[in-house]
Amino acid sequence: MLSKEVSPLLFSIILVFCILGTVVFAVSRKITEEMSSSAIHNLSESLVLIRGTIEAILMKESEFQQLIAQEIAMMDDPEEFVSTYNRNQTMVKMSIILEGKTEGVSNTSENFSEEGLDFSAGETVGGLPISQSYLNDMGTWAYTMKCPIIRDGEKIACLYIEYIYDSFDEALPEGFYNGSAMLYIMDAESERLVLKPKGMGERNAGHVNLEDFYRANRILEEDLQEEVAECIDQGKDIMFYHDIQEQHSLIYMWAVNDGAIYLIGYVPIEAIQQEGRTVNQNILVVVIVMLVAFFLCCLLYYLNQRQQMRVRKEREKEREMHNKQLAEALQAAQVASNSKTMFLSNMSHDIRTPMNAILGFTALLGKDAENPSKVREYTNKIMASGQHLLSLINDILDVSKIESGKVVLTIGEFTIEDLMSSVDTIIRPMANAKGQNLHTSVTGLKHEYLEGDETRINQVLINLLSNAVKYTPNGGNIWFRIIGLEQYSSQFEHIRFEVEDDGYGMTQEFLKTIFEAFTRAENSTTNKVQGTGLGMAITKNIVELMGGTIEVSSEVGQGSLFRVELELRILDEQGIKKEEDKAEEDMEEFSLEGLHLLAAEDNEINAEILLELLDIEGINCEIVENGKLAVERFANSEEGEFDAILMDVQMPIMNGYEATKAIRRLEREDASKIPIIAMTANAFAEDVKEALDAGMNVHVAKPIDMELLRKVIYQCMQRKD
Amino acid sequence: MKGKKGGKIRKALFAFLAGMGILSIAACGNKGSSKNGVIISEKGEDKVVNLFGPMEKSSPDAKNISRTAFDLTVGMAEERLGLTVEYRTYTAENYQEKTYDDVTLDRVRNGMDDLYLLNPDTIQVLGEEGKLLDLSELDCAKNLREVVKIANTVDGKLVAIPQEVVVHGLFVNKDMFDQYGLKLPETPEDLLECCRVFKENGIETPIGANRWWLENFVFAQAYADLYNGGNTEAEIEALNSGESKYSDYMRPGFEFLQELIDKGYIDAKTAYTYEAIEGEGPDFLAQKTPIVMAYWSAANAETAYGKPDFELQVIGFPSSRGPMPVVSMTGYGINAEAEHLEDTKNVLEIILSDEALQLYAETNNVISPSKNVEVEYIPALQPLKERIEENVYVLGSNAGMKVEQWGNTCLIVRMLLNGSTVDECMAEFDRLQEE
Repeated sequence: MLSKEVSPLLFSIILVFCILGTVVFAVSRKITEEMSSSAIHNLSESLVLIRGTIEAILMKESEFQQLIAQEIAMMDDPEEFVSTYNRNQTMVKMSIILEGKTEGVSNTSENFSEEGLDFSAGETVGGLPISQSYLNDMGTWAYTMKCPIIRDGEKIACLYIEYIYDSFDEALPEGFYNGSAMLYIMDAESERLVLKPKGMGERNAGHVNLEDFYRANRILEEDLQEEVAECIDQGKDIMFYHDIQEQHSLIYMWAVNDGAIYLIGYVPIEAIQQEGRTVNQNILVVVIVMLVAFFLCCLLYYLNQRQQMRVRKEREKEREMHNKQLAEALQAAQVASNSKTMFLSNMSHDIRTPMNAILGFTALLGKDAENPSKVREYTNKIMASGQHLLSLINDILDVSKIESGKVVLTIGEFTIEDLMSSVDTIIRPMANAKGQNLHTSVTGLKHEYLEGDETRINQVLINLLSNAVKYTPNGGNIWFRIIGLEQYSSQFEHIRFEVEDDGYGMTQEFLKTIFEAFTRAENSTTNKVQGTGLGMAITKNIVELMGGTIEVSSEVGQGSLFRVELELRILDEQGIKKEEDKAEEDMEEFSLEGLHLLAAEDNEINAEILLELLDIEGINCEIVENGKLAVERFANSEEGEFDAILMDVQMPIMNGYEATKAIRRLEREDASKIPIIAMTANAFAEDVKEALDAGMNVHVAKPIDMELLRKVIYQCMQRKD
Repeated sequence: MKGKKGGKIRKALFAFLAGMGILSIAACGNKGSSKNGVIISEKGEDKVVNLFGPMEKSSPDAKNISRTAFDLTVGMAEERLGLTVEYRTYTAENYQEKTYDDVTLDRVRNGMDDLYLLNPDTIQVLGEEGKLLDLSELDCAKNLREVVKIANTVDGKLVAIPQEVVVHGLFVNKDMFDQYGLKLPETPEDLLECCRVFKENGIETPIGANRWWLENFVFAQAYADLYNGGNTEAEIEALNSGESKYSDYMRPGFEFLQELIDKGYIDAKTAYTYEAIEGEGPDFLAQKTPIVMAYWSAANAETAYGKPDFELQVIGFPSSRGPMPVVSMTGYGINAEAEHLEDTKNVLEIILSDEALQLYAETNNVISPSKNVEVEYIPALQPLKERIEENVYVLGSNAGMKVEQWGNTCLIVRMLLNGSTVDECMAEFDRLQEE
């Protein structure tokens, strides 16, 4: 997809390149042509030079022969002179035939006659007739020139000197065109190749004659051969192009001595155009280098652009993400607002319901105070409503903690057996109460002792199971299964908890929102079921906090199935049980009776309840109304008078934090040691932290769970000791 | 990742620029001249060995394995000795011109070259004239087969050493023999019968011949008993002393040739003018002629019969002892007065070393003169090879015989081709023996 901006640019670049390429091609072609022309000219020059050399040799031979003839003319016995003349490399044979005779003598001690020498072609060198080429008695190609011997203006004899073509060998260039060109000397009349290259191999060692030369080099066009023959007849110099051994070559035939002999041969075009080729190669190199440089620049430009584009895209993406986050935040705020409205509405309803029971039964209690059975019944109902109200508040706290991310898992050791037992203890009575059948099973587990937040796992399972009890009609079935799955790691047990029922089930629409806060399945069948609508949201959050997953499947009227999968670290089984047992035993053995506590509590009712509860445990407690009084009372007490201080936080005059700090600052030995227990309705995690930061030892949330308080006091005493 | 990519691009860019820099520096270099710009042309003195050898008329694009094999060994010598072997050739344009042997004799006698590839007749003639160097002291001579030494020893001097043992045989078109239901001939009678059948079936000239190799028919019949009868030395001695006559040995072969000519199985007129292979070869390859004669490596050479369109078989010449290979020697001889004598001897040492002969024999698929060299042969040569392995053959040249065999017999066969009678031919043998 080329944008409208890129296309013209690309077109322009291509156009520039086309023009550039055309110019380079034209220049290169012109150079080639000029170099080619120059190369052919150089070849012609070389051939002319060689021809000049050969003709000069022939001329010198002719002149020398004439000089000898003149010398001989002055001698009394010319035959004697000739027969004793030593042969040399040029003049291999000298002979003389006296005028009027047909036979003479030669310096090779043989009789000599003109028979076998063919002067009929009428060729001459320097005026001397020259014979056709022939193979002499040395086994090499030769020619003879004859020269009349004139004495006193009268021809007295004829001098014949035989020369061999091998003597031209030295005059020919060695390695013509670096050995790539071939050079032969051909006798024009017989078309025999009388001097050949001396290279290796069949072709390089030369051919027999012109016909053989044509055949070997596939110069088979008859009209071409005819034209060449015509030119040779006329003694013309010729050149023509032809492929030789698959190389485009230039064949030359250069007439020497007016066409009596010919210099023939061929040279590959590549060899004579070496300079042109070098120039073109260099041009090509320059063009390639420039193109490479250009494309390199383009590449760098492209990379730079891409980098900028990427940065721009990242910024846009970031902006989009921010916008999206803002939108989501806005939506979340709206949802939160809606949720809060709904929450308040739900809370109003959910708090009012048990509150109604508490107040109603309290009123009835006033009336029927004299009737112990009624009092017991009403107080039980008030207790149940109070417990429900407390669980509602606890759930709200849990949601608050989870949403603020302040939930911290308390990792400890536990056994699946204990887990099953504790869950069973809580759920089975509930199920029995509704006539439901609770089926429990543990299968496939490889390890008993595990590490994890047992309380939270309990919370999850109880949540699911209590829901199952709630949403299953009387006489229904509930299955609780703990299944060991295939381990992902040898150090973790992979467990699936399944809670299944054959109860009312849920619609698909509800399933989509089941894990959202304040949702509750409501229909004509279930709207009578009490609940905060926070349980499933808490459950899901806890499961995810533990790195697990939760799934649900359900059909209306068929029941529901919840699956929770967790991975829990496997523990060494030894010792765990003993420690637990020991702690339990110690706890059971320890008695709080006789302890003397100081409590700062501004609320009189709470103070009274506290006193009563502690009194049941045999603990003596002194109440002060605010923090300041608590500080003063402790300061004035004797060392060791109080075993611990219970400190409310929100109090008039001086709150619990300040009071604690003041106590810790007191200059007495037990000021830093005395356990101070925060006992407050400020039950959030930050409240706990603030209490600890102020110097308190432990935090216990209101309403007071006496069992918990007992345990806390015990632990403080243990540490103090 | 991105950093690595950027690093690679930077490295590539740096390498490119460095390459450009080096190119530029190299391009600016000034070579071959002094600081004053004086260019000195140095002319080295090249060592040269002049070799004279035969040359076939050129065929475009054809590969002559034999020549290639020789070139390879010469290339080996050139490389190791740092010299150039300059190759000079001669080929007669037609039968009226001087033969290669004539020219060789002239060139050796005039000291034109250093090293020669010599045919058997010239080996004997030049050996007797003392024109050839005794090669028996060369290292390469030590591994030669005995038959090679015997055939090339003249007056006690080893005057030539070949690169291959040249074995002549009959080259037959097996497909044509099969077509007419003929068995490959083993005796002269078999051959006559085959020729009769071919002739009757319209094949005008069953035997393609040239002016060089018809003598093989004569040798096969003349010397089958001499070389394979177990009395070779005595018989040769009898010939040399004049007790026996060459003509008596030669007559059956000549009469056989005469019969072949008379019955039109050989065209004497064309045979007299044909050069070897060049003349009769095209008809044989075109399957117009079922029988020709040639040397062993012609079966491998594309320029000869290396790529026929039919099944080629090479068998011995018919004789009373069955198919008879005719062994002749062409060898390398050194001019005793060679201009570059030492270099020439060194070249010969290398091109005739076992290593070079192995290369030659493998390339050319021939029988090596060295007893240390063995190679695989093509199937077409199998019949001939078997006979050689059985030590059944005749020598076409034997320097131990006073009368030179190869060249003289060739010339006398030409007399027969030219119309002389068998008696006249025998008289020529007698004359030569008397001389």
